This record gives sequence, C-alpha cells and structure tokens, in this order.
Amino acid sequence: MTHTVSRRSFLKIAAGTGVAAGLNPTVRRVALEPFVRPPEEELPGKATWYASTCRQCPAGCGIIVRVINGRARKIEGNPGHPLNRGKLCARGQAGLQVLYNPDRLQNAVRQTGGRGSRHFEPLQWDEVLDQLASSLRGVGGGSEVAFLGGLMPTHLYPLVTRFLEALGSPAPVLFDLHSAMEGRTQSHDLTQRWFGSMELPIYDIGHAEVIFSFGANFLETWLSPVSQSYDYGTMRQGQSGGRGFLVQFEPRLSGTGASADQWVPVQPGTQGLIALGLGRIIVEENLGRVGSHREHAQLYRDVNVGAVADASGLPVERLQKLARIFADADRSVALPGGGLSSHTNASQSMDAVMALNVIMRRLGRVGGVFLPQQVPADAFSAPISPSPFRDLGKLVQNMRSGRVGVLMIYGANPVYELPRWSGFIDALTNVPLVVSFCPFIDETAVQADYVLPDHTYLEGWGYQVCSPGADRPVVSSQQPAVRPLYDTRSTAEVLLSLASRLGGALAQALPWPDEPTYLEEASAQLFGSSIGVIDARTEAGFWSQWRQVGGWWSAKPIMQEPELAGLTEGPLQVPSASFAGKPDQFPYYLMPYESIALSDGRGASQPWLQETPDPMTTASWNTWVELNPETAAHLGVTDNDIVRVVSPQGALEAPVVVYPGIRPDVIAIPTGQGHQDYGRFAAARGANVMDLISPVPEQEVSLLAWGATRVRVEAVHKVMTLARLESLDGEGRETVR
Amino acid sequence: MSSTGVRRISLGRAIPLILVGVAVLVTAAILLNRRVAQAAPDQPIAFNHRTHADAGIQCLFCHPNAMRSDVAGIPSVQRCVGCHQTIASSSARIKTVLSYWERSEPIPWAPVTQMADFVFFSHQPHLSAGVNCETCHGVVGKMSVVRPVVTMDMGWCLDCHLKQPEPKVARLTDCLACHK
Repeated sequence: MTHTVSRRSFLKIAAGTGVAAGLNPTVRRVALEPFVRPPEEELPGKATWYASTCRQCPAGCGIIVRVINGRARKIEGNPGHPLNRGKLCARGQAGLQVLYNPDRLQNAVRQTGGRGSRHFEPLQWDEVLDQLASSLRGVGGGSEVAFLGGLMPTHLYPLVTRFLEALGSPAPVLFDLHSAMEGRTQSHDLTQRWFGSMELPIYDIGHAEVIFSFGANFLETWLSPVSQSYDYGTMRQGQSGGRGFLVQFEPRLSGTGASADQWVPVQPGTQGLIALGLGRIIVEENLGRVGSHREHAQLYRDVNVGAVADASGLPVERLQKLARIFADADRSVALPGGGLSSHTNASQSMDAVMALNVIMRRLGRVGGVFLPQQVPADAFSAPISPSPFRDLGKLVQNMRSGRVGVLMIYGANPVYELPRWSGFIDALTNVPLVVSFCPFIDETAVQADYVLPDHTYLEGWGYQVCSPGADRPVVSSQQPAVRPLYDTRSTAEVLLSLASRLGGALAQALPWPDEPTYLEEASAQLFGSSIGVIDARTEAGFWSQWRQVGGWWSAKPIMQEPELAGLTEGPLQVPSASFAGKPDQFPYYLMPYESIALSDGRGASQPWLQETPDPMTTASWNTWVELNPETAAHLGVTDNDIVRVVSPQGALEAPVVVYPGIRPDVIAIPTGQGHQDYGRFAAARGANVMDLISPVPEQEVSLLAWGATRVRVEAVHKVMTLARLESLDGEGRETVR
Repeated sequence: MSSTGVRRISLGRAIPLILVGVAVLVTAAILLNRRVAQAAPDQPIAFNHRTHADAGIQCLFCHPNAMRSDVAGIPSVQRCVGCHQTIASSSARIKTVLSYWERSEPIPWAPVTQMADFVFFSHQPHLSAGVNCETCHGVVGKMSVVRPVVTMDMGWCLDCHLKQPEPKVARLTDCLACHK
C-alpha cells in the first residue's frame, strides 16, 4: 500500500511540524546529582573499570565493568582472563539490564495475602531475619531445612553446605534447567566412570584437526561458550596446521551446526549408536595411525554396523566415510554434548562418544581430551555438580510428606522449569515456610512466603572456580562494581547473620562477620602459591590484586592427562531411546532447545536479550514452532500460522517458523518464554515448552529426559506475526511499551 | 473530481498568507526558545556564587575536576558541608544543605549550562590551553543567580577555534575534533 504525498501537502506538514517543534521549549528537566561523599577512586566524567565475574551463566567468564559517576555503563570481557580472553557474549553484555531492571525487588518482602496472591508487604531486614531465625529454631525432631539451588556460585556453596550441616539438615539439592540441558550431571558422571574424577573434562577444541560434535552446541550455550568459540576460531584459522574440520550430529541444525562443514541430521536418540558404529568401523578396518586396535575389539563386540545404519537412517557407506575422516586425522576429538542427555540412553550414548576418543588415543594429547589441574587450595578444589534428578524426586517426596519445615530456594526457578508431573508445586503446599532469595518476583517467588532479594552480580561479592576450566586452573573473582541500588542483601550475608543470631554450632560453622572477610580468608589460601600470576608480598596485597586482576590463575597452562579407570572392558551397548507417546497418536519427536539469548528462561527479563534474534530463525520476543517445509506443507501451515502442539502431558499454541534445517519427523521449540511472572518483559509472552515434557516410563531416575516426548501438531487457523529480523516494519515487536 | 478542484483553488490563494504566518510563528518560537534556554533554571537551594567569589574562593576549589576530567563537576555535598558545618550554619539555606547531608542524599542541582549531547566536550584541554572559566560561563563571580551567557552553538565554538594560532586551526576545525 502506498500513500502519495503531493509537494504541497508535504510543505504543509513540514511547516506544521516546524511550528510545533519550535513552540515546544527544549529545556529538559534534568538534575545533576553530585556524590554525597565522593569515593576516592572516582573522578567525575572519567571511567573507572572494575574486574569481576559474569553470572549470566555458570561458565564464570571474567568481565570488566565501566563505571562513570558511580553508575555501571558497560560490561566487557576481561582481556587478562584465561577463560574468555577479553571476549564476552550477548548475555554477558546484557548484564546491565539485570542491574537496572525496573522489576527488581527493592527490599525484603513477605507475601501477606497467602502464596500466589502476589500481595507483598515490605519488611525491615532485622525483622525478617529475626522471624526466620525463630522459624529455624523450631526446625528439628522430624522436620528439616531443605535448600534448593540452581548451579550456585562456588563461593556460596561451601557456606550453604556448612549452614545445613550445622542445622542437621541434608545437603542442598542443585537443579536448574540450563544445567539439565547441557547435560552437566551426565558429563560429571562420564569422567567419573572413565577416569575416576569428578571434574568436567576439557576438550582441546582450539588445537583439534577434526571435531565430531554429538549434540554439543558449543558455540551457543553448552558449558563455556565464549571460551569454546574462541578456540573454535583458533581451530578454523588453522593455527596448528591446516583448517580444522567440524561435523555436527543433531536432528535440528543449531547455530553450531550451521558453522560446521557437515551437518548429519540424525534420528533423535541415535547419536550414541552412530558413535558406536563409527568405533566399530575404525576398529574393524584398523583405521588411523595409532597402531593396533586389537585391544579395543572387545568394546565393539556386540555392534552390528548394518543395524546401526538401519536404526539411525545413515547408510553404511556414509558411516564408513565419516569413520575415515575421524580416524585419518592426527588430532581428532569427539564431544559428547548436551543433546545426548535429553534421551533415556544418555549415559550409554556418552560412553560411546568418549570411547571414540579412547580408541584414537586422544587422552592427554594436543587437540584431545584433558582433565583440569586442580586449584591448589582446599577452598577451591571440590567441583560442584548439579544433583541427579532422583535427588529432586526425593526432595519432592520429603516436601509432600511434611518432613521439610523450611524450604530455601536460591538461583533456581523450579515452578517454571519443572514439568507439572514432577509434583513440585503440589508438594510446596505441604511446606510450612518457603523462602526465596531471588532479586525478582519469579514464578517460584510467587509461591514463597518471604522473598529476601539478593544483590545482582554487579553489586555483589564472590568468586567462581571455572569448570570446565581454561587450559589452566582459574578462580575468577567477583566484586561490587557499584553500590547496591536498593535495600537488598547478599544471600551469603543473610546466612552469616542467621548463624550469628542462632549461635551454637551454627555460629561456629559460619564464624565470619561478613562476606568480604570470608572471601578474603578463602583467597588467602592461594597467597604464596608458586604457580599463580599474582605476585604479592603480603596477604593484604594479594587480596587487593585478586580484585584488581579479576581472580587467580596459573601463569602457564597446566592440564592433566586423564588416566583410564574403567570401562575399557567391553562390550559397549547403546539401548534404543524410549519416548513418551505412541507414534500413531503423536507422530513427531519434540526437540526443545535452549535459547541462545534467554537460556533456560533466566534471560527473559532483559529486553536486550528478548530483542536478540535467534541466530537460525531470526525470530525474537516470542515462542515459535520450527517445522520442516515438508511437514508444514503436510499440515497445510506456513510461517506465522499458529499451531497447537499436543503431547501426552499437555499442549501449547505458538506460531510456525518453516525451517529447512530440521528433520521432517522432528519439531523444535526454544526454551525461555511462557513466564507468568518474572517482570514486565518476561510475563505473558509465548509458551513454556516444559509444559509438554512427559515422563518416560523407562527413564533413568537420575535424568530428566527432556527430549523424549512425542507430539502431534494441529493447525488452529489463526495467524500471529512473529518479530523477525527481516520484518523491519516492527510488526510483532513490542520494544516500546 | 470537481470538489477537490475547488478546494485546491481556495488553498492556492491562501498559501502566501499561510507561509507568512508560519514564518512569523517559527521566528517567534526560535526567539522564545533562546530566551528560555538562557534563563536561570530553578535551583533546589538559592545558591549565591557572588558571595563565595567575594570570600576569595577560586572556581577550582569547588569544581576541581575541570583541570583533569571532561566535566568540571558539581561539588559533593561533603565539600559544601566541609565549610558550612561551622560557617553560616544557622542560615535557613545552609540548614537545607545540612539536611541533605544528614539524610545522605545528593542535592538535585539543575544544570545551568548544557552542551549538546552529540558533542564530545572536555573541560581539561580547554583549561590546559589557558581558556578562563569566564570566557564560556561569563563572570559567574559577579552573579547572584547564575544563568548561561552564551548560546553554545557550533558557530560560537568555531569562532574561538578559528582564532587560535595557525598550526592548531586545522586540527581544531576538523569535524572529528568535537563530533566523534
């Protein structure tokens, strides 16, 4: 549609606008607010940079924050940090919107109208701590304190465990959807089974010649994406001789898959099987230049390549070609990714992938698999692993039976992230007191009695032991870049004040007067270490450099060679994956995938991240359903048509994105939207894919099989325009509200 | 269509009149705007620069950052209270200042001089080049209520930049000297 504007009406409009603009006084009402007491290091108008740690995901990248006149203005990567080496991803950049978010809680609150009423009444901190202390005194004799956390910062974890131990309560349960989707628990278990270590392995992507990635979207959300992207660049630029080669095995083409040389669209749940088939071919044909494969023959005794080809849909010739690509390279590495953890055969699939590294003798070799060198101090040595899913089940059981007297929730949003059948929400009603430490009113905080908002990470203290690490042991330090904007309090401080109020064993277990003292004491354990970059003569000097440099790491790369502890006696087997839903009623596999911007939903409150287009579909601000063009044609739908996706567990409606990079029998939906609460930018937008996830009868109890649901898709004959990068007219966008 | 034709003719006759009206309005608006821009803004406390200058206090005592930073800076509340805890502490205005200090609140001063935000202006090189505060801000030391004395537009900036010694002029009149 075009409007023709004549020259005359143009002049009229221009004159009218000019008059209107001229008559409108341009004086802006602004106030210059000087410091009350100017900080010593601040010079108005000049930037001060503070080194700290990013908390937008658990990777622990080093950041530097630009502060002018006491306000944080920009976040960049810390160039000296060995993990991210000066780089930072979009989520890291958006951290300012966590700090300045208009929906942050500004003080401690109690939900006075009952849970779910969303009627919150502000409380003084002293008052709330007194009330909490008296509730904790009442715990005991059959009831206990339970702590549910996301993958929490490594400085907080020891405080929480000491706190719970002194109260005689069980250790914290750690669950968050991001960790579940990157298969973190399964990766810990993998190294435990093969190498007898609880650390996460390091895959030397930067020096590899051929990478076979089995569902590892290592350029997007998997484990440590910034560090891995940097290494990917090194690998592609051929700094170790020749341009590296990447093959991606996954049912849906991810951003990482789009960067690969070959995308192998495997049938969901057969990635492990393919790894097994490749191994069998390598051993049988004695491929590669690593000597005899005789000792590995028993690993693949039970593998039939023909059966693998049938199950996965990849012809035998293709498997043989792939096996040669992998085996003929001097430095090849296979990555067992988060996609494997979505199926019921997760651990066997990951074993099959790791076995490829073992038979090619890639352990401890350049461009292969390593274990991290531990940080040489007790405070930083034990890695934190998310709990197996069965621990969460136990917690829910305890809650339901009334054993849990007080439930504390930190850094997790289980009401949003867990499927309804987990029973978490229903079990909450049997818990007398629920406390959330969330800085926002998220779905879980709405079900809490008290919300004691933590500082956001640019206002708070801490450290993070980077796991998976860089090529050396790294502890990244966190310090406040700005004074807290509101009357919030760090969770560590809350625990310390509760301990001093309750006294006795608890006060002995947590003797520190405040959080910085605790951190200073912990960091002092590294003072005098001969391998570190910090060269200080006194402990005070060490503490000051610790904050200035952005943490502690060794001056030179050190990694460990993994030693095989088990599983070298075969045979390896990968059972076929089970799915919920009968194929005749539910013909498609549902593949939820983690949004690169919103992650598991924690980024949904930040409008910059909402506006960040998905790299493959360019869609933003909503949930969508990705369909292969063939599937879309079969259903009679096209872009922006709303479809109803039905699983045995639930249903959701969302517009379609026709996407050629997906198998016709798979539909994909990103995570992150469908919030009911969590602020104005997140709430009432899109749908939550976790509503569809169904329980699988055969699923291992240690695993939430988030990719093991079958669905059907129905057209509903409605249209909703998605905001996409190519829709420059702004349709479907809600940037201005 | 005929109806449109009629409207066109009548509009055509009125056009010179409309144009004159518009020109008058625009000129009036611009003049008015200048007046408003050069008025002294309302301040939360009726601060008197003249009293302070008469007492022999130098500009840089309260605005020391002009020498080393982009902005001269408004003195911190602490700086005010440093003297006024003992000097004139019973006057009503000073009591207001002290009340901000007691509440640990910043005083929300209204800016008198505003530089357009597409210009990267820095005080420090101007002071290093020997420009006095009065050159741009007027004789603030003689004003009880400070108001802007010059309109800081590009012509005014260039006026001075062009008068600089020959070797500097090329650099000082480069677009990127101020617009980055």
